[in-house]
Amino acid sequence: MVSAFKLIAPVPRLSLSYHSDSNEHYRSFEAHTVRISGVIFLPLIFTLSIEKKNIQNMAAAASSSSTASPKTTTERRGIHGAQFVEDVEIYLSQTGLDVNSALAFLQERLQQYKLVEMKLLAQQRDLQPKIPDIEKCLDVVATLQAKKGTGEALITDFEVSEGIYSRARIEDNDSVCLWLGANVMLEYSCEEATSLLNKNLENAKASLEVLITDLQFLRDQVTITQVTIARVYNWDVHQRRIRQTSTSSTAKDS
Amino acid sequence: MQQGTGASETEVTWEDQQNINKFGRLNNRFHELEDEIKFAKEAIDNLEDASNELILTDEEVVRFQIGEVFAHVPKEEVETRIEEMKEVSSNNLEKLEEEKESVVAQMAELKKVLYGKFKDSINLEED
Repeated sequence: MVSAFKLIAPVPRLSLSYHSDSNEHYRSFEAHTVRISGVIFLPLIFTLSIEKKNIQNMAAAASSSSTASPKTTTERRGIHGAQFVEDVEIYLSQTGLDVNSALAFLQERLQQYKLVEMKLLAQQRDLQPKIPDIEKCLDVVATLQAKKGTGEALITDFEVSEGIYSRARIEDNDSVCLWLGANVMLEYSCEEATSLLNKNLENAKASLEVLITDLQFLRDQVTITQVTIARVYNWDVHQRRIRQTSTSSTAKDS
Repeated sequence: MQQGTGASETEVTWEDQQNINKFGRLNNRFHELEDEIKFAKEAIDNLEDASNELILTDEEVVRFQIGEVFAHVPKEEVETRIEEMKEVSSNNLEKLEEEKESVVAQMAELKKVLYGKFKDSINLEED
């Protein structure tokens, strides 16, 4: 009697499931609050005088540096790197956008990041249970190999259907069948099966690692973008306030 | 309307951004670790219950789950196996607890730095 065990090949599948892990919402009253996965980042208020000094320094620095974007993390596997903004005013003049279109652009970027994050999370969710599955298969093959030496049959109860189990008697044997997916099952010797399962386990763990690093990178970009949005918005609020006070003071004077 | 806190030095440098990113990452890792610790504790509890049941039972052959099937295994072997699994699980739990402590310490460090720089302009507390 040949024993059959299910092996699920770790093929990451793409499925878009709108399951939002990070709770994020923007409350747009005067202060623009940004949530970074459980961390609330309140607006940074700049003072004009300090900013002016910084602008002069930044301008000097920017002219000396050749690249237009000082701190950009390069693209990684299709995910755009978020450009870190040293100074809001310089950023706005560089891109030539006014505040609203800059905000719109950044918001759009954020949405793209969200989409990619959901994709990656779904992939991770698919991949994660595969690893214990493969380990279970390895366990079974190891048990069979151990029993091979003793010469006695292995009696097991296996599930025929939900709640219904049947008894099976597994005699001494040298081979196992592995389910490779796509309705394909191949017979392997115990050693080959062990090595194949180990290889698959390695691959699964490696892809999970890569996935996790991608997710971390993505979350960093999301954080940078959120911070930039908050700063641009608050810079705008600040500018408006300055303008208001200047117009009201000129109105008072006249 | 939010009043600005006077002359507050609130320029965000690349270093600050990196600190904020790192804090976000640590926060995520912290929550993941909490979940993993919960699972590990549950696993250990289950193994405890299983070994208790084993002591109580008077059957000689126990159906021990290997993979998807339940193999008929003599009681002593099951005891040994459960002991091993308990070892592994408690080591795992220890490692996770250690990592959690280091993450908490790092987060506290970063909180100090970021609050020092941004004071009221940043909030790093949980919701």
